[in-house]
Amino acid sequence: MRVITADGLVKRYGDLVAVDGISFSVEAGEIFGMLGPNGAGKTTTLEMLEGLRKPDAGTATVLGSDVVRDARAIKTRIGVQLQATALPPLTKVREAIDLFAALFPTARSTDELLIEFDLETKATTYATDLSGGQMQRLSIALALVNDPDVVFLDEPTTGLDPQARLNIWDVIEGVRRRDKTVVLTTHNMEEAERLCARVAVIDHGKIVALDTPASMIATHAPGTTIEFDAPHGVDEAAIREIEGVDRVSVDGRVSVSTRAPERVLRELLDPRAHWLVRKDDGQEVGIRDLRVRQGTLEDVFIALTGRSLRT
Amino acid sequence: MKAFRALTINTVRSGLRNRVALFFTLGLAVLFMIIFGELFGGNNFGVNYGVVDADQTAQSQQFVAALRSIKGVTVNIDSRDAALNDLRNNHVDVVVEIPHGFGAALTNPSAPGVTVVPIQASQTSATASIGDQILGQVLNGFVTKGVPAAVTLGRPVSSSVNNITAIDYFLPAMLAYIILQSGINYVAIGLADLRARRVLRRFRATPLRPAQILGAQIAGGALTVILQLIVLIAIGLLFFQAKTYGSWLVAAVPILLGVAAFVGIGFLLTSAASTSESARGLSSFVAFPMMFLSGVFFPITTLPSWLQTTVHVLPLTWLTDALHQVMNDGVGLNAIALDCLVLAGWAVTTFALATWRFRWD
Repeated sequence: MRVITADGLVKRYGDLVAVDGISFSVEAGEIFGMLGPNGAGKTTTLEMLEGLRKPDAGTATVLGSDVVRDARAIKTRIGVQLQATALPPLTKVREAIDLFAALFPTARSTDELLIEFDLETKATTYATDLSGGQMQRLSIALALVNDPDVVFLDEPTTGLDPQARLNIWDVIEGVRRRDKTVVLTTHNMEEAERLCARVAVIDHGKIVALDTPASMIATHAPGTTIEFDAPHGVDEAAIREIEGVDRVSVDGRVSVSTRAPERVLRELLDPRAHWLVRKDDGQEVGIRDLRVRQGTLEDVFIALTGRSLRT
Repeated sequence: MKAFRALTINTVRSGLRNRVALFFTLGLAVLFMIIFGELFGGNNFGVNYGVVDADQTAQSQQFVAALRSIKGVTVNIDSRDAALNDLRNNHVDVVVEIPHGFGAALTNPSAPGVTVVPIQASQTSATASIGDQILGQVLNGFVTKGVPAAVTLGRPVSSSVNNITAIDYFLPAMLAYIILQSGINYVAIGLADLRARRVLRRFRATPLRPAQILGAQIAGGALTVILQLIVLIAIGLLFFQAKTYGSWLVAAVPILLGVAAFVGIGFLLTSAASTSESARGLSSFVAFPMMFLSGVFFPITTLPSWLQTTVHVLPLTWLTDALHQVMNDGVGLNAIALDCLVLAGWAVTTFALATWRFRWD
């Protein structure tokens, strides 16, 4: 069942086209990711679905209702976490949950949410005194206060340390297990691969790819990358000759792309293949710090846009 | 309604928890009352009596001696004119005239009773009222020794129309000050901060109507102001012993209209400012001149005449005028009808403009 459909959404700010004809649909119970650099149009797309901004063109439905005409009805059935969540000043954790609970016709119990999000011990702490991870848990708890069917999370882990990020991933997976549909934005590749059933890669207001992370990698970043240091240099041409090597780059580290990693590794590591790696006057110095990794969404993004995501 | 109430209560609660804002509103108002009450009240820990002895009997001389024996009291016996002249020049705090027949009333049960009437200058406040009390005690002690009910202490007579003390004058002025500061601190700056920090946007992602979100913030700001006014009135009456003359029901009219006008101005400032920093700047720009020109600290009559006409544009001028008139002079609603009308006009105009110009981000 489709819970969200977006059809040709456009949003302009003056001359800037923030969202330029975005169409997609989200199935019930999946975690759908929107991946892209800052300014790609992820947040604007999300805010149009949440009924916070009116599209300049195109239509969208959430849970069968039109996002412009039925914005209020939709808002009772969705949960929203805005990027960099702010709460009213001088409000304590329990008070914040109680407040948001009162804003909806029906709401879950505050105590239940405090326990579920591991905030019982922080109930009487001012929200501004929480750590980044705790604050993010609170803002996701607030998004779930009305027991919504669809939850929108805008960059739920941006700015968190790695441990807090892992914790939030568990929280989000927990939300999905409660049969909620989750739509999240991120510019963290690992996050999209780990959490999302399907990912839309967005750049300059357009969807450049939409698929499961696995098939996206298989399409746009197939194969394996073998990376290593060779302190005395390598014979680049000779490596390129090995059967199964697609691409070689020597940029400090040596990076070899291949769809036949077993064969290439065997050749590279063969002690008889001393001709591959230049050695220093009889010293057996060859390959150091060897790593083998699969293609990632990062590689997909570079392949699709020619740019790295972390800018 | 449940949502509106919850949001309003949350606004009031966080407003009252904001210690910095509280200092600049209620805190400064109390501080001003202490400073100015002391400065203009002139409590010198002593009372100077100018006594006019029109009786010239043994009893009148005993009374003067008894008064003189009290610690901190000085007594000058003088002619009536000289004593009143001393009162005008602040050389004495209270003039007491011992009427002819004082001695007779105390010694002869069939003689007619007399009344001792203290005369005070206006604005000599604390000292004068202490002077009255001392006088009453001395007189009481004196009378019980003699013939009962022969001499009574008359109500103090003031040499000016307004028998008000400095603190009586400053209580309504400080109410006006809180209304001015709070409208700005809790609405203009508060609302601009909520907008800048995207809290308003977060509320818009709930089923609340935009009018409910803004309305709750404004109602919360207004309630925060009203709570502080109640606290200041209680402090003024209980700790500073301020006296008020008019009806509180009448005073409530300009107070509520004033709150509406200044909350409206605060709301308009939020609409005019794009960031919370500019809201802060604009607020000071609006509040400070008004504070010093609108009769809060100094009566408007002390301003040069060209400025006196100018300040009548400002809503604070009308608010302080209305509050002084009701609380100091005890006038009714009719006398302040124009003030109330002007305040209502400011409220309606600022709300209309602010609603029209308001931006959510």
